[in-house]
Amino acid sequence: MSRNDSKYFSTTKKGEIPELKEELNSQHGMRISLLYFHVLQDKRKDAVKKVIAAMTVGKDVSSLFTDVVNCMQTENLELKKLVYLYLINYAKSQPDLAILAVNTFVKDSQDPNPLIRALAVRTMGCIRVDKITEYLCDPLQRCLKDDDPYVRKTAAICVAKLYDINAELVEDRGFLDSLKDLISDNNPMVVANAVAALAEIQESSSRPIFEITSNILAKLLTALNECTEWGQVFILDALSRYKAADAREAENIVERVTPRLQHANCAVVLSAVKMILQQMELIISTDVVRNLCKKMAPPLVTLLSAEPEIQYVALRNINLIVQRRPTILAHEIKVFFCKYNDPIYVKMEKLEIMIKLASDRNIDQASFTFFQIAALSFAYPFNIVEHFFVLLEFKEYATEVDVEFVRKAVRAIGRCAIKLERAAERCISVLLELIKIKVNYVVQEAIIVIKDIFRRYPNTYESIIATLCESLDTLDEPEAKASMIWIIGEYAERIDNADELLESFLESFPEEPAQVQLQLLTATVKLFLKKPTEGPQQMIQVVLNNATVETDNPDLRDRAYIYWRLLSTDPEAAKDVVLAEKPVITDDSNQLDPSLLDELLVNIATVSSVYHKPPDAFVTRTLSSAQKTEDDDYPEGSEIGYSESPANPANGFTSPPSASFTARASVAPASPPPTPPVPDLLGDLMGTDNGSIVPVDQPATPTGPPLPIVLLASTGQGLQISAQLTRQDGQIFYSMLFENNTQVPLDGFMIQFNKNTFGLAAAGTLQVPQVQPGTSVRTLLPMVMFQNMSQGPPSSVLQVAVKNSQQPVWYFNDKISFHVFFTEDGRMERPTFLETWRSLPDSNEVSRDFPGIVIGSVDATLDRLAAANVFFIAKRKNANQDVFYLSAKIPRGIPLLIELTTVVGSPGVKCAIKTPSSELSPFFFEAIETLLRS
Amino acid sequence: MILQFFVLSQRGDNIVYRDYRGEAQKGSAETFFRKVKFWKEDAEGDAPPVFVDGVNYFHVKVAGLLFVATTRVNVSPSLVLELLQRIARVIKDYLGVLNEDSFRKNFVLVYELLDEVIDFGYVQTTSTEVLKSYVFNEPIVIDAARMPPLGPASIFMQGSKRMPGTAITKSVVANEPGGRKRDEIFVDVIEKISVTFNSSGFILTSEIDGTIQMKSYLTGNPEIRLALNEDLSIGTSDYRGSGAVILDDCNFHESVHLDSFDVDRTLSLVPPDGEFPVMNYRMTQPFKPPFRINALIEETGSLKAEVTIKVRAEFNSSVNANSVLIQMPLPSFTARVNFELEPGAVGHTTDFKEANKRLEWGLKKVVGGSEHTLRAKLTFSQELHGNIMKEAGPVKYLQIAKTSKTQNPYRWVRYVTQANSYVARL
Repeated sequence: MSRNDSKYFSTTKKGEIPELKEELNSQHGMRISLLYFHVLQDKRKDAVKKVIAAMTVGKDVSSLFTDVVNCMQTENLELKKLVYLYLINYAKSQPDLAILAVNTFVKDSQDPNPLIRALAVRTMGCIRVDKITEYLCDPLQRCLKDDDPYVRKTAAICVAKLYDINAELVEDRGFLDSLKDLISDNNPMVVANAVAALAEIQESSSRPIFEITSNILAKLLTALNECTEWGQVFILDALSRYKAADAREAENIVERVTPRLQHANCAVVLSAVKMILQQMELIISTDVVRNLCKKMAPPLVTLLSAEPEIQYVALRNINLIVQRRPTILAHEIKVFFCKYNDPIYVKMEKLEIMIKLASDRNIDQASFTFFQIAALSFAYPFNIVEHFFVLLEFKEYATEVDVEFVRKAVRAIGRCAIKLERAAERCISVLLELIKIKVNYVVQEAIIVIKDIFRRYPNTYESIIATLCESLDTLDEPEAKASMIWIIGEYAERIDNADELLESFLESFPEEPAQVQLQLLTATVKLFLKKPTEGPQQMIQVVLNNATVETDNPDLRDRAYIYWRLLSTDPEAAKDVVLAEKPVITDDSNQLDPSLLDELLVNIATVSSVYHKPPDAFVTRTLSSAQKTEDDDYPEGSEIGYSESPANPANGFTSPPSASFTARASVAPASPPPTPPVPDLLGDLMGTDNGSIVPVDQPATPTGPPLPIVLLASTGQGLQISAQLTRQDGQIFYSMLFENNTQVPLDGFMIQFNKNTFGLAAAGTLQVPQVQPGTSVRTLLPMVMFQNMSQGPPSSVLQVAVKNSQQPVWYFNDKISFHVFFTEDGRMERPTFLETWRSLPDSNEVSRDFPGIVIGSVDATLDRLAAANVFFIAKRKNANQDVFYLSAKIPRGIPLLIELTTVVGSPGVKCAIKTPSSELSPFFFEAIETLLRS
Repeated sequence: MILQFFVLSQRGDNIVYRDYRGEAQKGSAETFFRKVKFWKEDAEGDAPPVFVDGVNYFHVKVAGLLFVATTRVNVSPSLVLELLQRIARVIKDYLGVLNEDSFRKNFVLVYELLDEVIDFGYVQTTSTEVLKSYVFNEPIVIDAARMPPLGPASIFMQGSKRMPGTAITKSVVANEPGGRKRDEIFVDVIEKISVTFNSSGFILTSEIDGTIQMKSYLTGNPEIRLALNEDLSIGTSDYRGSGAVILDDCNFHESVHLDSFDVDRTLSLVPPDGEFPVMNYRMTQPFKPPFRINALIEETGSLKAEVTIKVRAEFNSSVNANSVLIQMPLPSFTARVNFELEPGAVGHTTDFKEANKRLEWGLKKVVGGSEHTLRAKLTFSQELHGNIMKEAGPVKYLQIAKTSKTQNPYRWVRYVTQANSYVARL
């Protein structure tokens, strides 16, 4: 046969679709001889191939649907497969025509040829059209009990397909039980597919469907030995959920799994490693653990001989494993040495692992005494011969070509110095050698890490400062410059010409990036405090002038003012503040948070372990399963919403105490206790999976001042919503007004809030009765904070979705008025205020001018502020200006210190604030401005 | 599980596209390609194999083609990456050669294969042997001889397990034009060497990654026994007799029976159709490196230097090394390089790669025991300060030790050694 499929891609002059139609139909209705039949069949096949070819290049050939389906009734498997391929693609767009194929499907599912039976079931499962699905159940039932294992294994996967389309049908027809029976099948391929299908169904279901009992465990462990490599991965991954009862059982499991480490398939090896690591947590015997570690090391290392892509995955996993069990690869650091031809992403990962494995034993030759070497050579006969030393290796990398890699290598040396006290001195001398090479980016990177080394070992290595200063004029990167300036300022008393060095930077002060300017400012102040002579005095004048008058950077200006004030009022206090002792740092860079590490270790050998992110950070739940939930009319017991996504994301906040909750309940005892949130279509649309949809059941009383409109009647098809966040009796409420301008009564209101910076979510039920046409209903929805915190930069946007039984879902954005967060306990005593102000770093102070605001009556303003939980502390006069000090507090006890400067009665208020959460400053300003204006 | 599978050409064209779960977004292939292509502006670095964009993309590059799979769930990435490699291998088994042309000519077959390999995103089988009973299309084999020997794709072959020109370009299912199939079996012992010498010529690290590859065209699938070196031991055992070979670790293909492995180091297997690795092994036992490289750098003037590179082949004179390439990074301010080869040198090429400032010296053939020298005069555009010169030489060589041939069937055993990372530091 010398056919050539590529000819199907050629186009003809005549319209392509009509021509194909002709070819597909030419033979129908003709009386033909048997001999001619084969010729015709080939011709049909060719025609269908052309159609498929057109389909794959993205042409729309759906108009040929009927013609192609007519070719389906054939004994020729090749042709049949082609038609099925077409059907899968177009059935969705032609559901009415797809029904034409049902008869053939059902017939095929009883064909004597097992391949055709399997093909029919496989294809039907891929056609996501309800009418076809209805007809799938009977054939599927039969095929699950088929004599041929190929049919059974195809049917097993088909159950998962059906569950994805219609979960209820699967449960009603008892397919889950049939699937569980297949776990005991005598064909390992069938077992593997049944396990894969059950695992997937479990994943999208809230009920326990696939629980691994010790009985199933035994069966699967047996099947493991006979399975194909892929089946082994399915089974191992499913079994990794199994929690062994005791150390004994864990040891037994591990024993059965260990031979998998010898498999040539990397996926099998990694899944086996995962399983062993998990069971190891239960094993008490240190001998067994040590032995297991020894067994796991060679296969893990062998993964590094695979393709670079797999190496990368292996390295990301090893990175996690060595954080928990450093002993596994402690003696293998050499295998992570970078190869010349490794892709850069592999090199970077290797470097990271080398830093993690670096120890006093392998970092450097010089840290050993002769006797230690002698002792080592008994323990590790191979290692000592080769004298591999990580530090030298890093030094070598630092002279490579790839700039990014070089930088990372230099940083690695610094991190080793910080990590290993005994090696620090050698690390520093290597860094100095590198500096002497005078390659610009190496020098700069080295200076950055040396600054950290100084922080880690104060008063130890300052002798090298002179060498560092030689490279001063080559620095052009902000971070390196800032680091160098920090060093000069910090050690000004030891550097004879510190003033000259700093002075050289001053000329270009206005052009420097902010980072450098800030360091220059601080360094000059330090210099002045340490050497209060004429030179530094002049310099400080220049710098302060530059940093206050000439700059438009508020951070810089504020810091300069603070220094200025400090220096002019109390130079001794300035010394205490500026030259205070700094805490010693440690190397915790790239160390994962222990709880995150725990979660990631459970997810070894998954995508999660490559990203080093928990699965729910990137796995989005599919729409189909959410749809089902909604169809179910919010069933009870769907606590799944809680269990699936931890309420407290990585930022480590804990959920707020329920005090506010109970307080509210006592205010309004009539309302029912809040129901647990239900995952729902609404939530998925908005990207949340833990929102609070609350059904409406009780009316609320409409009162209060007018609210801003958030959803216009024109947008909401007649429904107008006004809403605002308010604070009453120590509780935040969402005050809402629903106006029904439609012709029909609206009911069944529900509300949901998208993730937001402050984690605002509904704490109770949205109580809106049926809203008759032309009327309005007002309600107060209690809110809680820190429920569903969004990541990313803080934002005051609150995205809300409202739904009722008559209309589509409405989305609108509201602005969070920040002052509702100010708590009632925000009052501070004067000493506390002063202490807090001092304890916060200068960089946390920010200020802003409100030029349009006039404070007419001091008392009225202060009363108004106090009503909003912003409390007056003290007042002082500064020339003709009044300076007010106030305090407030937001939940979690975060204080906010405010200084207002104004001339009473004339426009313009300067507001300076200081708070530990300086990222929230814009919101504070906004809130204060609102309060002052109102 | 796996959402989609697709194969893209170097230009980003969709060659094959299969959506397994009917929930894929449109244009994900395009999104992916843009991401890979613009991963790094300087185009030097390859994109790492996984990244997220709502869907997770996995990809491997085989023969210049991008094999991509996507997923939405937390799958095993090594499974997907391994699978992509296997799919490429299965398709190659069927088509004989793997390139855009053969894909286009056989797209129906490829789709048929893909449907059997993956169902609803779950891997079913990647064994060419098993697939043969479910797949009915026959491949249209394109003539390997007509292929351009070093197409643009060949630059991607570097570092892959198979070398251009050495791969057997014959389909396992297609019949020979002459009718009857020939009984043949090919065994390749491929060893990749990594050696790092320090500046004084001592070996810092050395490692061998080995694979025994087999490709069988035997009819009737008879059982085969493969005998390995009897002095082989695995793991760092205490047994260290002379001539012993100590493997750090090894693993075997699933068709291999290890019943008598512990007794007499023989493997028995019924080779399935298609190409597959019988055994992978790794050893760090010290061995004699095949090449020694010396480089001498002299400053000969204010803006001039002379580099002398000496390479010595320290292996038996009956063995030849082919296509040896020595590279040496030069300072970035190198303006010009004049090369001076030894008199009578044949088949040597020298080049100064202006773009990445690298000196390249190619030797077509190096006979065992011979020594070659290259002198290069460098001219700098700027004062030389510091000394960041070092040598990184990936020496790619290939030695064919023996081609044994008995009457019937034909047994082709070939020993290939390649350089993985062969670096001499200065």
